[in-house]
Amino acid sequence: MAARVVKVARPQPMTRRWTPLLVGLGVAIAHFFRNLLGFARGRQDFTVYFPEQRFVQPPAMRGMPVLVQMPNGKERCVACGLCEFACPTNCITIFPAETASEVERYPEVFDIDMSRCMFCGLCEEACPEEAIVMSRQVEIACYSRRGSLWHKQDLLVPEAELKPRLDYLRPQYARK
Amino acid sequence: MAKTVHVTVDGRTIEAAEGAPLLQAMLDAGIHIPHYCYHPKLTIDGSCRFCQVRIEGIPKLQISCNTPVRDGMVVKTDDPEVHTVRRGVIELLLLNHPLDCPICDKAGECWLQNYSMEFGAREGRTIDPRRKRGKRLDIGERMLLDQERCILCRRCVRFCNEITKTGELHIFTLGDHSKLDIYDDARLDNPYSMNTADICPVGALETKDFHHKIRVWFLEETASVCPSCANGCNIMISAYRNRIWRLVPRRNDEVNDTWMCDAGRLNYRFVADPERLRAPLVDGAPATWNEALDRAAGALGDFRKRQGGSALGAIVSPHLTNEENFRFGELIHALGVQQVAMAVKRGPADDFLIKAEKAANARGVRELRIVQGDDDGIEALLGAIESGMVKGLYLCGDDLLETVPADRLERILAQLELLIVQTLRPNPRFARAAVIFPTTTFAEKDGTFTNHAGRVQRIRKALETPAGWLNDGEIFTALLNAIDARGASFALDRVWGEMARDGNVFSALDFNEIGPRGMQLAAAGK
Ligand code: SF4
Ligand code: SF4
Ligand code: SF4
Ligand code: SF4
Ligand code: FES
Repeated sequence: MAARVVKVARPQPMTRRWTPLLVGLGVAIAHFFRNLLGFARGRQDFTVYFPEQRFVQPPAMRGMPVLVQMPNGKERCVACGLCEFACPTNCITIFPAETASEVERYPEVFDIDMSRCMFCGLCEEACPEEAIVMSRQVEIACYSRRGSLWHKQDLLVPEAELKPRLDYLRPQYARK
Repeated sequence: MAKTVHVTVDGRTIEAAEGAPLLQAMLDAGIHIPHYCYHPKLTIDGSCRFCQVRIEGIPKLQISCNTPVRDGMVVKTDDPEVHTVRRGVIELLLLNHPLDCPICDKAGECWLQNYSMEFGAREGRTIDPRRKRGKRLDIGERMLLDQERCILCRRCVRFCNEITKTGELHIFTLGDHSKLDIYDDARLDNPYSMNTADICPVGALETKDFHHKIRVWFLEETASVCPSCANGCNIMISAYRNRIWRLVPRRNDEVNDTWMCDAGRLNYRFVADPERLRAPLVDGAPATWNEALDRAAGALGDFRKRQGGSALGAIVSPHLTNEENFRFGELIHALGVQQVAMAVKRGPADDFLIKAEKAANARGVRELRIVQGDDDGIEALLGAIESGMVKGLYLCGDDLLETVPADRLERILAQLELLIVQTLRPNPRFARAAVIFPTTTFAEKDGTFTNHAGRVQRIRKALETPAGWLNDGEIFTALLNAIDARGASFALDRVWGEMARDGNVFSALDFNEIGPRGMQLAAAGK
């Protein structure tokens, strides 16, 4: 398959080089002084005690890609294969099939090899149906290689649970 | 020959035959002109209005498909008005086009997608809802129609009127209400119906066979030749994950224009048949290739010593390539075989593409002078086995199963002392075979076929065979080396070198010069 280079227009702040650098530096410096102050006052917990403690990640966080499950229990995916093509690590395998319902096509096989997935989110970006999105799930270590091959049934997550991510995504794709 | 004329297109002078469509002349010169309704093998329709260009001296833009070239014509394609027209055509076509690309089988090779990306506006300007039409209509045994996707180019209509002359399709009603459909009393069932899916520039006509199967951008295409009848239509094998997903015709004006028959197009499943032999069988039990070769060479050598080579018969397969059959000819010559025959399955034929002989290379076997007689020696060989003169048989292919009545075949096979078979699937009739080698299909090897008219055409390997696998030619070569201590190899150019020295009709051709259109054998020969 021939590789293609696509130039993506990034939102403004990213193209101005210095602003994000300074913002990041500011955050680091602020943390440094806050921790220094805390240390001086005898503070003990400088980190989250995982797994007893967890914090809720922001919706911008990209965990493992999952499939959106519609309220009727079916996947939203129509097996168009765009994520499969967009995926830089070739870790998605789809075999489409036909149904009698109005949306005539569905993935009979939808596998993601999580040991190869790098959480880049290009699949989510390619999907024309909002059917694959990046979840907050990152705890996916397992003991066998086979275990890291996720099938369609394992990947389905109810739409309601993915709402924060979907709400975060939608404005980004809005048409001008 | 028509006179050659010169036309200037955007300042560049191109040559064309006088009277040829200007569009074709520009396409032949490598100038990219968008078009939908024009097809080189169909009459001109002029319905899509996409191919318009400016011609000096004519006030309005002209459709280039319906403009014959004249000497000295000056054409402009890079013209603001031409660009406006192209954008307009795309916008009009997209007014009512469904947003089906994610589930449309044509996506990726769709002319509407490609041209919209190239010439279309990025945003639609309409607010009206899209027109509803029939979707997934079952219009034939092998075809589906989606009227919403149709852009009314009438290519399919012309195909059914002009090529198959069956006329099942028509565009009904007028203007905005126009829609493509079949007549009430007709279904799109003609033996060439699936070509309409190829020529349909969009995903309106789809084959049931390829419906929702695989995205076209994953397919790897290999130029080859259809193995299903003696016509030898040129095809592309579309493979993905070492499996064939479809066969599509490839243009060759000497053989099949741009068409192929439905039966040939659908005849690829045997390649992935789960029943296929995946390893040789020795006395009915799976064995390694070396065991099988040793056993076959031993049995053949032994048989020749005891009974003499003339007690051995051979049946050549019309499905194997010229090179393989040439090598088989050498093998049976080395064994001293006298009785050689070929079994060819026959079926319906017509006066267009479909030929009665349902094998790709029967003519090649005859041209190699391996078999003689009107029935390719079959009666003589079977008679010789029945009379006990021939007691051993080297059988390539299983066409015999369908050309000889079952009870006769049963008796004949039971009479044999030695049977060596090369076949696709195991069959209870071959239970007594000393060795059964798996045969290799057209998609898994390189070589040439000779079609009914004596055109030698290349087939190319599209699928990988398992490690250690030997194709038929390599089996023959290994046996020849074992029996005759030759040290021959089955590299194709070496085989062609030997074929040339042998002095048969193929010696006039050069293997490396057989291009995508094939090469015609000299008129001599049978
Ligand atoms: S996140 Fe990236 S690597 Fe993972 S499946 Fe999606 S496209 Fe592939
Ligand atoms: S891009 Fe979206 S709709 Fe298409 S196959 Fe992937 S998940 Fe399914
Ligand atoms: S015909 Fe072409 S543009 Fe229309 S839905 Fe199919 S792929 Fe998309
Ligand atoms: S079905 Fe296809 S080929 Fe036939 S008129 Fe419509 S777009 Fe053209
Ligand atoms: S190609 Fe000329 S009008 Fe359609």
